[in-house]
Amino acid sequence: MQDELTDKIIATLASVKHIPREQIKPESSLADLGFDSLDTISLLFELENNFQISIPDESARSIRYVHEIIDGVRQLQAAGPAAPTAGQAPANT
Amino acid sequence: MSQRRIAVTGVGVICAMGLNAAEMWESLRTGRSAIDRLTDPEFDHLRFHNGAAVHKYIPEEHFTPTSVDHMDRFAQFAVVAAREAVRDAGIEWTDALRQRSSIITGTGTGGQSTEDKGFADVYLRGRDRVHPLTIPRSMSNAGASHISMEFGITGPAFTVSTACSSSNHAIAMALQLLRSGAADMAITGGSEAPLSFGILKAWEAMRVVAPDTCRPFCKDRRGLILGEGAGMLVLEPLDIARARGAKIYAELAGAGMSADAKHITQPTVEGPVRAMRDALTDAGLKPEQVGYINAHGTGTPGNDPAETKAIREAFGAAAEKLAVSSTKSMHGHALGAAGAIEAVATLLGMREGILPPTANFTEPDPECDLDYIPNVAREAHIEAAISNSFAFGGLNAVLAFRALA
Repeated sequence: MQDELTDKIIATLASVKHIPREQIKPESSLADLGFDSLDTISLLFELENNFQISIPDESARSIRYVHEIIDGVRQLQAAGPAAPTAGQAPANT
Repeated sequence: MSQRRIAVTGVGVICAMGLNAAEMWESLRTGRSAIDRLTDPEFDHLRFHNGAAVHKYIPEEHFTPTSVDHMDRFAQFAVVAAREAVRDAGIEWTDALRQRSSIITGTGTGGQSTEDKGFADVYLRGRDRVHPLTIPRSMSNAGASHISMEFGITGPAFTVSTACSSSNHAIAMALQLLRSGAADMAITGGSEAPLSFGILKAWEAMRVVAPDTCRPFCKDRRGLILGEGAGMLVLEPLDIARARGAKIYAELAGAGMSADAKHITQPTVEGPVRAMRDALTDAGLKPEQVGYINAHGTGTPGNDPAETKAIREAFGAAAEKLAVSSTKSMHGHALGAAGAIEAVATLLGMREGILPPTANFTEPDPECDLDYIPNVAREAHIEAAISNSFAFGGLNAVLAFRALA
């Protein structure tokens, strides 16, 4: 069973890429889902808005799979709300 | 009948490296990068903190208080650079020349900094009105219009906007205009002043700006660094320039333009290849005659390997002997002004016999395997040079310059 956070993240992915939620699994890669560089920065923007987090550029660059996004968002949420200076947010692994 | 040949007889520039060509040359020659921390406290709320701002520029030293009110920073830069270029060319104005002169400027963001402040007033500060000069300050043609008023030029004047290729497209259009005989002199180049909070936030969201500095073609490059400024050239038909005894930097021998027609931000290899080839063909140059390329060289993950591949494809075996540098490592990426600032860097280098380096160079990316003139300027007397601009939107423009004996 998927938890609520996973559902919300998949809903965000689906909305950014205009594809059905059913198509998106935690093991899906962004490339397989057809995300290009512009889709990816749009996704990061929506994730930051929807989950009140700040995703540093460096960790954003290494994201390949949906499960990595889920883990990353979970960690950033656990670390607390986004700092006022976005660049100083705790780094995702 | 062969077409009119076009010469560059004057240059003007203002950018982070200097307020004029002499100051800029000193920095180019010594490979000194002008990238440093952006000082506006508002900018602390950004993921990146470095830029290539023109720190020493004081508007009131160049314009009356009323003119300062009427002009966004990008239009001021355009006029400052145009004044220097016209002075440098030794233009003596007559009514006939004013009518036969043209102005073609490039800009990507135009006066968006003015809009940014005006919109913050209504959206953020709850004010009921924006400043009445917001429109005339922010329109993209303001630079061209203020240059026309500055010199009383009444010939064809307009602005082109193709993001980071704006200046090169503008200069290419001026070349065609002069070749066609529609004008006998052109002031052309571009200007940009994008260092405003809202614009920087938009760049932040694109995740292409480096948190440290601009290291084009290097393994550890982390993106581009935004800059500002203007570059302007005075172009004249070679016969007219020679007849009046003008000093000539080089011939603007050709231009090549192409559209990728693929993706709104991801560059292709084919588009730039065609623009470079077309520039060489238009200029009547063989690849082996070109000694230097001022690269687009943004320092982003996407551009640098694609540009390297494109250069190899366009130049073939001649790529081995080419010197290539990205002066954006020193003056940042001035977007719509980039091509003009880089044209000035290229022309100064050709005149002085010294090729400007790629600063901040560490270790080359294995996918970037050309001679990038790392960190130290190089003495070289070259026959011809090209300058590349490849824009978001896949619109490419390349200029070709030939040295004249």
